[in-house]
Amino acid sequence: MKPELQFFIGKGGVGKSTMSAITAVHLSRNSRDTLLVSLDPAHNQRDIFQQDFSEKPKKVDNHLAVKEVDTEYWIEKYLKETEKTIKQTYSYESAFNLQNYFNVLQFSPGLEEYALLLAFENIIRTFDDKDIIIFDMAPTALTLRFFSLPFITLIWLEELLKLREKIYAKKEIISEIKIGRKEIQQDKVKAKLQILIQEYGHLPDRFKSDATQINLVMNNDKLSFSEAFRIKKKLNDIGIQIDSVLINKSQSKEVPDEVRNEFSHHKITLFPFSPKSILGYKALNEYIDENNGIFIGNSKRITE
Amino acid sequence: MISILNTLKGKIVSVLKVTDEVMRSKAVETIEYEVEELDNIFAILVLGTFIGIPSPPIHITMELLPEMEKEFEIMLEKVSTAHDPLGDLFSVLDID
Repeated sequence: MKPELQFFIGKGGVGKSTMSAITAVHLSRNSRDTLLVSLDPAHNQRDIFQQDFSEKPKKVDNHLAVKEVDTEYWIEKYLKETEKTIKQTYSYESAFNLQNYFNVLQFSPGLEEYALLLAFENIIRTFDDKDIIIFDMAPTALTLRFFSLPFITLIWLEELLKLREKIYAKKEIISEIKIGRKEIQQDKVKAKLQILIQEYGHLPDRFKSDATQINLVMNNDKLSFSEAFRIKKKLNDIGIQIDSVLINKSQSKEVPDEVRNEFSHHKITLFPFSPKSILGYKALNEYIDENNGIFIGNSKRITE
Repeated sequence: MISILNTLKGKIVSVLKVTDEVMRSKAVETIEYEVEELDNIFAILVLGTFIGIPSPPIHITMELLPEMEKEFEIMLEKVSTAHDPLGDLFSVLDID
């Protein structure tokens, strides 16, 4: 399935953004058409590549473009669209009073991860000509909410649909007794629920597909390990597997035992600590040249 | 003679009709009350965010909002007029 997707997740500060950038540059050097997307509101890619990025992808070299997702833009866009639809379907009076309620909506919990999901869907739909799309994710909490959202949504939708069907079964009974036959008005809400269930069904499959790789980044310290183990567990709870573990800023050539035990079935890669800061396109290439052992012999998908 | 019988027949038919309607209404009264409550529960579940109740993922609320104008209004009305739920229940069950 094209394009392949790669996610870089992990505790804040472990080097997700740098890892994503290094991987993106490496793939581009191997002529894989790559799009690097920053889904992290902190947008570190502009510091790493030392140039500004925006929603419009910017070419950094022959096979690499970088894009930054602006969650506020997506939230606003979505609220405006919903407001427009409502104004069209509601009668005039109601639409007028609705403004106050809409102002409440923009502060709802859950909007930020939903905006990321909207941006994500838009990206995989729009850039289906790319070989690979790399997502530099937000720190743990927001990332976990991002991955859980489709699952939680589906559970809610299915329960709401059950309740709706129960209500309409009773309405049928009432109608049959009162007027001697079943008179069913078309239930638009039920139709909407069914459409939503179909749409949200696709996302979990995409996350779990073989063409999607989730890379967990960590550093060689206790706090980093604990959080990494927690992330693995939380993702497993919703059926998502971690594909590879990257230990960044590594000062040793050995994988710590704790990590080896916890991730016994995973590919583990050590990214050596770099004494000079990896800032700018040139520095990224230098790091890859100096440490070319990392990519060779590891995940075939990364090197091919 | 025949016309008197016909008028009588007409009156009996209309009495039976009215009785039939009243009986049917009584029969569905409880179910109608139940359906109304279920409708309210559905509305609170989906639109609860507007009356201070934790709601489902916000996009579900927003996707269904365009189709739920009536339920939305009823829910807001119920909140602002502070109904007497027990009173409602007792009247339906014919408890004095």
